[in-house]
Amino acid sequence: MHQSQLIRSSTFLWALAVAAAFALFVVALFAFIYWKLDAYLVARSDRMITTQIQFIAKLPPARRISAIADHLEQDSRGVQYAGLFDAVGTRLAGNIDHLPRAFGLEGTAQSVRLDPFEKPAAHSPVVRAVGRRLDSGDVLVMGRNVDETREISSVVGEALALGLLPAFSLCLLAGAWLSVRAHRRVEEVNQRVQRIVAGELRERLPEGNADDSFARLARIVNGMLDEMETMINALAGVGNDIAHDLRTPLTRVRLALERGRTHAATLEELQDVSDKAIAGIDQSLAIVTALLRLTEIENNRRMAGFGDVALDEIVREVCDVYEPIAEDKRIALGVVIDRDVQVWGDRDLLFEAVANLVDNAIKFTPSGGRVELALEAEDDSALVRVRDTGPGISEPEREAVLRRFYRSDKMRNTPGVGLGLSLVAAIVKLHGFRLIIGPAPGGRIEILAWTGRAGSTSRRNGTLLSACVSETA
Amino acid sequence: MTPRDAEPVLSRRAPRRRADHGPKTMNRILLIEDDAETAEAIVAELADRGFEVHWAGDGIDGLDRARASSPDAMIVDRMLPGMDGLAVVEALRKDLVRTPVLVLSALGAVDDRVRGLRMGGDDYLTKPFALVELVARIEALLRRPVDSCETILRVGPLEVDLIDRTARRGERELNLLPREFRLLEYMMRRNDQLLTRAMLLEEVWNYKFVPATTNLIDVHMGRLRHKVDGPRETQLIHNVRGSGFVLRSRQ
Repeated sequence: MHQSQLIRSSTFLWALAVAAAFALFVVALFAFIYWKLDAYLVARSDRMITTQIQFIAKLPPARRISAIADHLEQDSRGVQYAGLFDAVGTRLAGNIDHLPRAFGLEGTAQSVRLDPFEKPAAHSPVVRAVGRRLDSGDVLVMGRNVDETREISSVVGEALALGLLPAFSLCLLAGAWLSVRAHRRVEEVNQRVQRIVAGELRERLPEGNADDSFARLARIVNGMLDEMETMINALAGVGNDIAHDLRTPLTRVRLALERGRTHAATLEELQDVSDKAIAGIDQSLAIVTALLRLTEIENNRRMAGFGDVALDEIVREVCDVYEPIAEDKRIALGVVIDRDVQVWGDRDLLFEAVANLVDNAIKFTPSGGRVELALEAEDDSALVRVRDTGPGISEPEREAVLRRFYRSDKMRNTPGVGLGLSLVAAIVKLHGFRLIIGPAPGGRIEILAWTGRAGSTSRRNGTLLSACVSETA
Repeated sequence: MTPRDAEPVLSRRAPRRRADHGPKTMNRILLIEDDAETAEAIVAELADRGFEVHWAGDGIDGLDRARASSPDAMIVDRMLPGMDGLAVVEALRKDLVRTPVLVLSALGAVDDRVRGLRMGGDDYLTKPFALVELVARIEALLRRPVDSCETILRVGPLEVDLIDRTARRGERELNLLPREFRLLEYMMRRNDQLLTRAMLLEEVWNYKFVPATTNLIDVHMGRLRHKVDGPRETQLIHNVRGSGFVLRSRQ
């Protein structure tokens, strides 16, 4: 990857920012530790010198000088200071050259610059010291060099430098690595997308095994690609299906016309041929109409017609319309309505869906069979079930039946099928409902509708259709 | 074709015959259609049926003619050069012209249909259509039943009481199911008129789509006919082959 690209990549910049923040945090942490440590050490030495001054002050005057000498002798590191001065400030004992000016003698610890006796330093160190005027008028000073905290600070600083630099570099490295990795994956995705754009619809993004966000994103996109591939394939298939479905009636028309033109001897014969031709063209037109209707519904532009719809009314009406048809075919058409149910939807479309289901059921149920239309209601859902004693829909056909223009082989010769269930599926999908196709034998198709939105609104019991109600009851 | 008249639907009229030319007042139809061949076929068919048809090839010309000649009914194509068909209808309705309009369109979608009717069209026919269908609808538009307060409809020996929801033929009580009653009522309001299957589906059953079972209407009509026309009675409900049904008041 190009260097500037690496530096510009957001992953790398983020890593850099995190590293900087981390370094700042560590520095602050160490500063805090140093500050606490320093305060602790000072407090400790303060306690020590206070204890010492009290100890020596309590000794009889004669033993003080020797005690101070002992005290200083024991201090191998040379951090202890002690001094005894008389009332006018002349040194009596200890390693302090003279009393510092403005030195408080109240017995409290203070930072002060002490000049060591007989060892004049380039600059006298700052020590913690405590002074006290004794009963005899002498002044006793005890001190302790706290420069060792400075040493600690330098040690801490070193540790900081030694620890922080590798950590910072590590951060940068990690950032660069992540950045390179991300870039590589984006590049891979880009290449695959280019292939998809070029028409390789089967191509998918690499998902990998990891459960990182990138993999999840890839899975989401792949899901979308699956759906789109199905749709595109379905659309591509529609062309063939239309061609096939239109070709059959159009071939008949063409043959009839051609033969009629040469062979018709009387006007009646010619009219007969024309009637056949018109019927064939009407069949072709019906296919086109159904296709356009399906497109209209699938394009999802019909939400405008949505409102509260009484499913029970629809079920009753459909039953009313199809009862004579069923009777003619000697099929018993039963209707069972649990209770009145309202859903949010397009009345005409839902009617069309239920009518289509019943239409199909009656069409494929042999004479003497039974078609049952039921409306069941739960708390937040309603189920419209159409059950028949026909052959039903076999397992492999179940999915296919919902595809556009699918027509099972045995239906091929039945006019006007093909789109019925596709239409129902499209309507159900538009409403966000579910279409459930039960297993064969015996047809069973259910529309699972959600009543959540309309369920709470007041029940309208159709007075308009009261006649219909009494009839089916 | 019988002339338009303002009599209520229960009026008796001469039976319709194809060759019934030369009525005293010919219904004047204005056709606004840009496709010359389609227009020619429509004009010829309507002329055959005894209408006086004028043809305008675009919306602007059509609007001018509609304003100038005030036809009895109009057939307006939606997609027109110059001025959209619906715009023509809208302009006329703004001028408070109530001429019945049949909108023709290649757009079959339900929304388009609803829009076409909302913009002032009285009926909507999707291209391609059967000429029989077009004529039936034009006749229906010309003879729209008067919104009368009649509660009893009478056609020939048939009598329907809209309040009691009872029907009788002569002395014989007809025991009709609600859906059969609705169908008979609709037919009695439009007696001696050809009612196509599509019209019945739309008007009586309120269908917004074409059902897969193509003989849906025939089955219902069969039931009604069975009850209305007894075995030894004159047939009142007639099947017009390939087109639809007519309730004839007289033979």
